[in-house]
Formats: sequence, C-alpha cells, structure tokens
Amino acid sequence: MNRTPEADFRQALLNPELSAPAGLWAWNGSDPTTRFDVYRNNVIVSLIEALESTFSVVQRLVGEQFFRAMAREYLREHMPNHPVLARFGDSFPGFIAEFEPASSLPYLADTARLEWARVQAYHAMDAGPLSAETLQVALSEPERLPQLRISLHPSAHLLRSQYAAVSLWAAHQDLIPLSQVDPWQPEQALILRPQLEVEVIPLDRATAAFTACLIDGLTLGAAVDETLNTHSDFDLNAALALLLQRQALHVLSY
Amino acid sequence: MAKTTTTAAALALALGTAISVASLPASADEMKMEKCYGVALKGQNDCKAGPGTTCAGTAKKDYQGNAFKAVPAGTCTQMESPTSPTGHGQLEAFEETM
Repeated sequence: MNRTPEADFRQALLNPELSAPAGLWAWNGSDPTTRFDVYRNNVIVSLIEALESTFSVVQRLVGEQFFRAMAREYLREHMPNHPVLARFGDSFPGFIAEFEPASSLPYLADTARLEWARVQAYHAMDAGPLSAETLQVALSEPERLPQLRISLHPSAHLLRSQYAAVSLWAAHQDLIPLSQVDPWQPEQALILRPQLEVEVIPLDRATAAFTACLIDGLTLGAAVDETLNTHSDFDLNAALALLLQRQALHVLSY
Repeated sequence: MAKTTTTAAALALALGTAISVASLPASADEMKMEKCYGVALKGQNDCKAGPGTTCAGTAKKDYQGNAFKAVPAGTCTQMESPTSPTGHGQLEAFEETM
C-alpha cells in the first residue's frame, strides 16, 4: 500500500507505541522523536480538555481520572474530522453508552447528550420568535390548522431520557441539591437558545412526545392525534403556551 | 387504542388560548439582539494545552500507553438511589477494555 507522509504522521500521533514518522529533523539537531512526543501529547491533551469543557457535568459525575481515561479511549477511534472544535465530540455520548467501565452509571450517556445539545444550541443560527401577526394569520384560517406545520427554532434540541439527565445537569449548576436527584426517574427537556442564553426547559412526557412529532415534520393535526393516542393526559393548550412562551416555535407553513 | 382525531375547531381554540396565555411579544424587532461571541466557549479554541502552558509543549503528559484502571469516582456517589443496593450511586472497579 502506498502511504503518504500525512498518513504516517497521523498514525503516529494516535499511537504512542509507534515511533516518530520518518524524515523528521529538528533545526538544532536535537532528537526529533522527543519533540514529536511533545507534539503528540499536546494534541491529545488539548482534545481531552475540549471534551472536558463540553462534557463538564459528565466529568464531575465520574471524576477527572476516569473521565480522562475514558476520553483517551474515545480518541483512539475518534479524532476530529471537522476543523471546528466545537463540533468535536458528537459521537462521545454514544461512545459512553457503550463504554463498559461506565455501565454502572447508565444515565451518563444522556447527561452527555444534554451537554452536547447545549453546545450545539449555543452555536446554532440566530432566529427570532414567531410573531403575533403570523399566528393571527394562521388563526384566521382555522379550517387549515390541521394541515399546519410548525417548525422549531434552529437551536432546538429535544432530549428524552429514561433517566434524570436534566436534574443531574441542573444539580451540577447548583440549581437543585444533588442529594435530591433520583437518577432513575425518566426526564425530558427542550434545549433552546431563543436569545443569547442557552436554556434547558423541562417537559412532561406528553409535551415531549408532541414536540418530537413537530420536529419530525408532522402536521399540527397529526401531531396532536399521535400524541393523544399515546398520552391521554396530553394538554395541548399548555404545551402550545409553553412552546410559544419560551420562543421555541419558529416558522409556520402548510 | 381508539384513534383520536382532533378537529380544526379544537385546534383553533387551543392555539387561541395558548397565544393569550403566552402573551407574545408583538414582534421579533422588540427583542434586543446584540450578540457578542468571545470567540468560542471556553476550551473550544485551537491552542489549549492547559493553564500555565503554551503550545510549546509543557502540558502534563496524558497519553501514555493504554493500560489504565479507573473507577467512576465523581459526584455519582452523592446521589440518593433507592433502587441501588448501596442507597447511592455505585462505584465499580473495572478492567482494561482494550
């Protein structure tokens, strides 16, 4: 196989047991192997710290030592494939879910998904809320309402967890006491950045199911029917009021 | 379960009620939008080798071999967990996975 110098360099970066790629030399004649080790270490440390920054609650849940060990394992297979470092770590929650040593903390992956969603929401496109005029126009044609499609704000991410990922996150922002969190309680939340701040908005199960239908592109009529079929306690008024109030809704179309 | 069909009138009522409850701002223009990104979230910049270091290579060594033993030892142990035998989040020793 024909290997490029770049491929050799990349391979050696990933594996500390490999020697430095051939053909390196230092300006002052010092050993390039040592210098390459320094470079390799900096690459790995910086990427681990980027993960720590994005997944800071996960880090606190497992402790620094465990987190760094887990991040190192992740890096072996998942070097960044995009030049924007804020997009590095998209597969980390999935990796955590499959990471055997963390299996005693099954809520860890969803906590990571929430943290990832917050970073993505932070970097999402700016967008204003639905205007009252737009809504009045829609209301003036009530017969078309079942066919109405409501898209969510570009920053919106929905989290539906079997665990108390939202409370776990909140406890680590000092919003609620950690000792009162029952991690086995299913929770849902909408992650949203309507203005400058990323918000984590807890949702009940029915509202989360309804929101998922809207995200899937269902019409309003179909979304309500679908939600009512699985959640008889669904309160459409309250769900719409919450989504409007938090500026989660973005565009109406038919 | 019987399939439900929501009527247009019911949707109109719900949406109308929701609008009055939510008491929307008149338009997006009323929102003061002034966004000043630093450059990125902390830790997302390009050269990040840790406090007191530069990219010249003084970061603490963190990529040595693949043998590690660590257990989750963070705040998980501080949570009440009625379903856990210990009453708290659990720690389990684990073996190297690779």
